[in-house]
Amino acid sequence: MMRSVSLIEATNLTKVFRRADKGPGLRGSLRHLVERRFVEHVAVDHIQLSIDAGEAVAYVGPNGAGKSTTVKMLTGILVPTEGDIYVAGRVPHRERIENARNIGVVFGQRTQLWWDLPVRDSLELLRDMHGMTQSRFDKSLERLDAVLGLSDLLSVMARKLSLGQRMRADLAAALIHEPSIVYLDEPTIGLDISVKDRVRAFARHLVAEGTTVLLTTHDLDDIEDICRRIIIIDDGRLAYDGDLESVKNTYARDCSMHFQLAAGAPVASVSARLPEATVTLGDNERELIVTFDRFALSTGSVLNAVLPDGEVLDVSISEPAIEDVVRKVYAGELRLGHSNGEAAT
Amino acid sequence: MGKPGRPRRRTGLYRAAWLYRRCLGAHLRSTLEYEADFWIMSVTAVITQGIGVIFLWTIFRTIPLINGWKFWDVVLIYSLVVIAEGLSQLFTQGIWNLSWVVNTGGLDPMLIRPYSPVLQVLSSEVGMNGLGNMALGIGLFAAAVSHSGVSWSAWRVALALVLLVSAALVKIGLNLVTSCAAFWLRTTYSMFPFSMHRLGELTRFPLTIYSTAVQLVLSIVLPFAFMSFFPATSVLGHGAPVWVGLLTPAVAAYCLFMGVWIFRLGLRRYESTGHLGRACRVCEAGHLRRPG
Amino acid sequence: MTGQSLDARAAGRQFRAPFRAYRSMARMALRSLVAYPVSFVFNLLASAFGALAMLYLWRAVLRNGGSAIGFDWAHMKAYLLITFITGSLVSGYTDYQMAFRIRQGDVATDLVRPVDYQRARFAETCGFAVYEAGTAIAVAACAAIAFGGVPVPPLRAWGLFLLSALLVLPLRFGVVYASGLVTFWTQNYVGVQAARIALVTFLSGAFVPLGLLPEWLRLTADVLPFAGMASTPALVYVGHLTGRAAFTAVAAQAAWSVALWVLARAFWQRASRQLTVHGG
Repeated sequence: MMRSVSLIEATNLTKVFRRADKGPGLRGSLRHLVERRFVEHVAVDHIQLSIDAGEAVAYVGPNGAGKSTTVKMLTGILVPTEGDIYVAGRVPHRERIENARNIGVVFGQRTQLWWDLPVRDSLELLRDMHGMTQSRFDKSLERLDAVLGLSDLLSVMARKLSLGQRMRADLAAALIHEPSIVYLDEPTIGLDISVKDRVRAFARHLVAEGTTVLLTTHDLDDIEDICRRIIIIDDGRLAYDGDLESVKNTYARDCSMHFQLAAGAPVASVSARLPEATVTLGDNERELIVTFDRFALSTGSVLNAVLPDGEVLDVSISEPAIEDVVRKVYAGELRLGHSNGEAAT
Repeated sequence: MGKPGRPRRRTGLYRAAWLYRRCLGAHLRSTLEYEADFWIMSVTAVITQGIGVIFLWTIFRTIPLINGWKFWDVVLIYSLVVIAEGLSQLFTQGIWNLSWVVNTGGLDPMLIRPYSPVLQVLSSEVGMNGLGNMALGIGLFAAAVSHSGVSWSAWRVALALVLLVSAALVKIGLNLVTSCAAFWLRTTYSMFPFSMHRLGELTRFPLTIYSTAVQLVLSIVLPFAFMSFFPATSVLGHGAPVWVGLLTPAVAAYCLFMGVWIFRLGLRRYESTGHLGRACRVCEAGHLRRPG
Repeated sequence: MTGQSLDARAAGRQFRAPFRAYRSMARMALRSLVAYPVSFVFNLLASAFGALAMLYLWRAVLRNGGSAIGFDWAHMKAYLLITFITGSLVSGYTDYQMAFRIRQGDVATDLVRPVDYQRARFAETCGFAVYEAGTAIAVAACAAIAFGGVPVPPLRAWGLFLLSALLVLPLRFGVVYASGLVTFWTQNYVGVQAARIALVTFLSGAFVPLGLLPEWLRLTADVLPFAGMASTPALVYVGHLTGRAAFTAVAAQAAWSVALWVLARAFWQRASRQLTVHGG
């Protein structure tokens, strides 16, 4: 069977940083001249990536896991120690400028706007660097403005923007030239909730338009509703690569419903009606918590099991979250396999 | 909002130059917003360089010649340094930010744009003090040539202009070469390029006053002498073999080439090690010097 | 009487506590330079190149018969090296750090600290000066050897010379500190600093002995405090200032130091008002 070549293809991708291990101060520097010792840090350890055009992939991992390093190698900023990368058939660090024409990057922790220029000037410089015609630029800006709301930002100097405004402007700068591949590297870091929502909505919009999106984040709320595929990296190594939904369905099956009752919680009787579920008392004697496998029981049946025993004042349902799974992966409780979501222990 | 799109695609050298002009223009516009700064920088530049001329004038009140050089000859040499500095400040001031850019990760955004990172760095700032220096430098140059007793033909004028521009390019090239230390000295500010700039300022005075060793360093190792002395001797027609001054354009090309080459080496190093730079807090706060 | 001695002791303790703070600031400043020797070396190199140019230039000048100048080469060497050393003190760390912190807005924290801003800056200056003096003397000694040695003043002149040299510190501080305060009004300090250095260095006689200046310039230099920053100690060293004239000149250094300190305090009031009123 002919396998189509992926848009982004990385094999055995490795990055090792070598740092001089020298003591502090002048004595340390002098000693290092004679006795050269180095400390090696493996930031990325032989990972495989294969991303097709139009995919939206979440690249998740704790701090220091190697996410940003991977993105830097994919964008051509860093040269891999080992392994191959092909982005749209090009090797990023060898054909950096050609590769740059097709990609947009948002660095969460630094801006790519010119610090002392108004946002509009930055965008116009990018227009010129990418060789866009004025009409194409205007249309692109209009579309970005509709989603991000840029009109109040255009005349402000980048260094005077608040963090939320800067992120919106950075998104515009990354996308003004309509790239087919977008790397969002920690785009919601440090933002307040309203701006985070806006950024996430924007990412969904990108995905809907067919742009290939690689979203690196350690904020797991970012990926719900945006990405269909999740890659988990931990300590430079690939922990999981597969479908988000199947991960949730396999590892995050537990759902819980909280009932607030008018009178005392009938733990025993509910428990008898729902043998597969776990029934416990909440913070007070009138609160009941039922934890169950959402594929085994429906919320409706749980509700029906509680109603006969008394008046229900309030109900809340907590859905399974990817956080729980990933937290378990980070904590080492779970070791996931690839693609088919089978646990490898 | 804008002009109609240009149908012709810009490529290669033309594109690089056009984008350079665009970047400079954008930074110039934002610099001009600070009117007070504009005047302060221009005036302080004139004062700084002007004091040097007054100094020379004071010395020449007491003696007629230094090493065989008359006052106006020395002023000519001096003016070439001022002009070279003025041009490098107006058009390539961004280079002095290289240490900061490299060691705070500011190079990453530049690397994902489809434009040469060297040119991006060079065009990232316009030094308004360059205007004051240009004004003073050209004034001094004009005064010096009018007193020099040189007969001016069209060819000589053309030669002088070529040498003037080449001299400035020597300075720019050497600025680039020395600034690339940023890729190896991992601090957010390094005094190394500035100290080399001060070495170059030795060429404000006739090269012949220095010992042989110093003359060799300034002619061959870091050819700052081609920023002022040798071009001046060609214009004046004495002081050194005329053909040496005529080498200035070649030396300029060499310095620029070396600068770009060393930058590429530095970039390769950056790409393999990342920007794990140390912040030098004393450096940031203590001595962010650049040519005045 | 116990009450009295208690009060006295309390007063003494109150005075001593701030001094300890200043001493540690001086030590921190010194340590900050020592921690980055590479950077400091290049800075020193930068100023050494300037001195080198002057030495070679004057050698060429005096070779053509410098009888009108009143110096022979040996004494000119000494003069230039002394002005190099005095010029290296309070060279640029204090005011640039001030300017940097003012521009970044960090000065707000400086203002709420229970130390006097001006005294604190002077303490830092003293810390830097120890390092600056040490290294400048080392470089000057090397240059002296390279250029064939310099004459040394007689023993009786040393007392006055050292006093004069020491007074350079508060004198230069006054000017450098006032210059740094200008940042409360401007955004860009680099140009201001360069101009200040050029003007002050010239009028202090560091490039050209003040006696060689034309009448009007010499009068200007006489009424300004800059002469005491370089010319006075250098002239005492080479023996061009002796006896009564020397004492007068050194007294002028001291007087100017005090005057500049007081003027700087007034300047500071205006500057900090600029900050609080206009937000900096």
